Amino acid sequence: MRDHQGSLTRRGFLRAAAGAGALATTAGELLAQAAPATAPGTMANEDVKAGKAPTMEWHSERPLTGSVPAHEHDFEVTPSQRMFVRNNHTTPLIDINGHRLALKGLVDKELSFSVFELAKEFKTVSIHGMLECAGSGRSGYQPRASGTPWLPTGGMGCPKWGGVRLRDLLQAAGLKPGAAHVAGQGGDPGAVATAAPVIRSVPMKKAMDEDTLVAWAMNDAPLPFVHGYPLRLVVPGWVGSASTKWLHTLTVLDAPFKGTFMDSSYRIPRFPVEPGTKMPPDAVSTEAWPVKSMITFPAPNARFKPGEAIAVRGKAWVGEGSVDRVEVSVDEGKTWRPAQLAKGSGRHAWRSFTYEHKAEAPGYVTFLARAWDDRGNAQPALPAWNPLGYFWNAWHRVGVVVAA
Amino acid sequence: MRPELWLCAALLAGAAQAEEKLISGPGSTLTENKCRICHELKHIQRAQLSPGEWADNLKNMKERGTPMDEAEMAVIQRYLSTYYNRAQAAPPPSPDTLAGGGDDPVQKLLNAHACVGCHAPDKRVVGPSFREVAAKYAGDAGAAARLAAKVRAGGVGNWGQVPMPPNPGIPDADLQAMVGWVLGNK
Repeated sequence: MRDHQGSLTRRGFLRAAAGAGALATTAGELLAQAAPATAPGTMANEDVKAGKAPTMEWHSERPLTGSVPAHEHDFEVTPSQRMFVRNNHTTPLIDINGHRLALKGLVDKELSFSVFELAKEFKTVSIHGMLECAGSGRSGYQPRASGTPWLPTGGMGCPKWGGVRLRDLLQAAGLKPGAAHVAGQGGDPGAVATAAPVIRSVPMKKAMDEDTLVAWAMNDAPLPFVHGYPLRLVVPGWVGSASTKWLHTLTVLDAPFKGTFMDSSYRIPRFPVEPGTKMPPDAVSTEAWPVKSMITFPAPNARFKPGEAIAVRGKAWVGEGSVDRVEVSVDEGKTWRPAQLAKGSGRHAWRSFTYEHKAEAPGYVTFLARAWDDRGNAQPALPAWNPLGYFWNAWHRVGVVVAA
Repeated sequence: MRPELWLCAALLAGAAQAEEKLISGPGSTLTENKCRICHELKHIQRAQLSPGEWADNLKNMKERGTPMDEAEMAVIQRYLSTYYNRAQAAPPPSPDTLAGGGDDPVQKLLNAHACVGCHAPDKRVVGPSFREVAAKYAGDAGAAARLAAKVRAGGVGNWGQVPMPPNPGIPDADLQAMVGWVLGNK
């Protein structure tokens, strides 16, 4: 098997990071050790996959997309090996030593930082936060939309992220009157010279949120190449595309960025539309994920004995606000009973839930999970169809076999 | 990943690339060659859209940088709305009467093996033009064998950082014919 130029260094680094413990204070030094030894280029898909769990399901090679199913998400903190992959183009290999982040636009003074300067000049923080592709679950919609056919439970994860707060950078630069949006631009090269740069913008309120980061670490290690090394935005709870990977430029704007990744993609009708129709002209940009949950144990069609207690486990999350409760039904939604909901480890982290069910007679038992948020929104039996197949958050369903 | 799994995945990827084809019909070659520059054709095969959604989709792809002009877009729009339309069954496959190069046998091969999605005779599309390739190998006695090996294996670095995918499935005779023609493009 081909060994990637960075992987030996990376393995050495991971050992160092495990021993070093606290990421935030030592990140600057550790990052230097992880720098690729040779010239920048593009990482082959095989090399990306070699760093991922064998249970990843790859939905597309070009661009590379993959995720693990729900029952492989039974972790409090999503291991990097199980974090979903969704590229627009190829996976760039960027040399951290030469990489800079520019901050420009409606600011009093334009700034530019190396990754090491960011770590040195600003308070380093670590959060536990959700990222989920806007199209996560798209394959549940009928009629089908174009785009990655994510499984109903693929395309999300909740790892730990380390870096600096975007708001600290913005405050250091000083916002000019009218500053309303912050656009992130990533350095993934397209297949053609005419390829549009991947640029998305977020409103100032979200940019100033204390959990919105310019991050260089994932799970106490440098970002894996495919997850944005050496620098990315982390806009937790919002559609994944807001969290620009391979970040090199931040631009403060007086309005949402105008470009294909804002105006033609990542849009959703303001009100439900007839399934199969075109995007209406008054569509809006996708932002925070609606409330959602999934069952991570048992796996579909797992076997249990009659009389056995089945400890159903899962995760629940919402992009804005908080999860209020999770309910489980074993009678196809006729009745719902409360699950035990654990405390979360952050405003944008998913929360674990458990529900105990005693398997009585032999047969097939179907568990349905439904989460509610603190604004009275519940997951629907089927979410409203939309032309690009975003925001799938239907009740999650897992059936198991009870047999002697 | 264990080495045997990696090998298995690599073989599957190669096989999928060799077999990736849309339903043959007027415009299928152009559609394959333009869309395949950035993504797999299964994104088309598994999406059954309405003509209006295809129009939105093509507009989006043009914005994202697909190198295609208005006339080419119109051909692709008509093709997709005919063969991948959820409201009507696709007609039976028929020859692609709109394929570039007419009846020229080498042009047919370049179309069939998707070379022209990324390469043109005299301008850069994604990869180098055929003329640039011919110039690079001019006067090199072993050029045909080395270029053929390169087409088979794919690679990156000679012409920039956009990789050329491997092409394990091209029959030897086709490859020789195409390589000979490309090297003659001076």
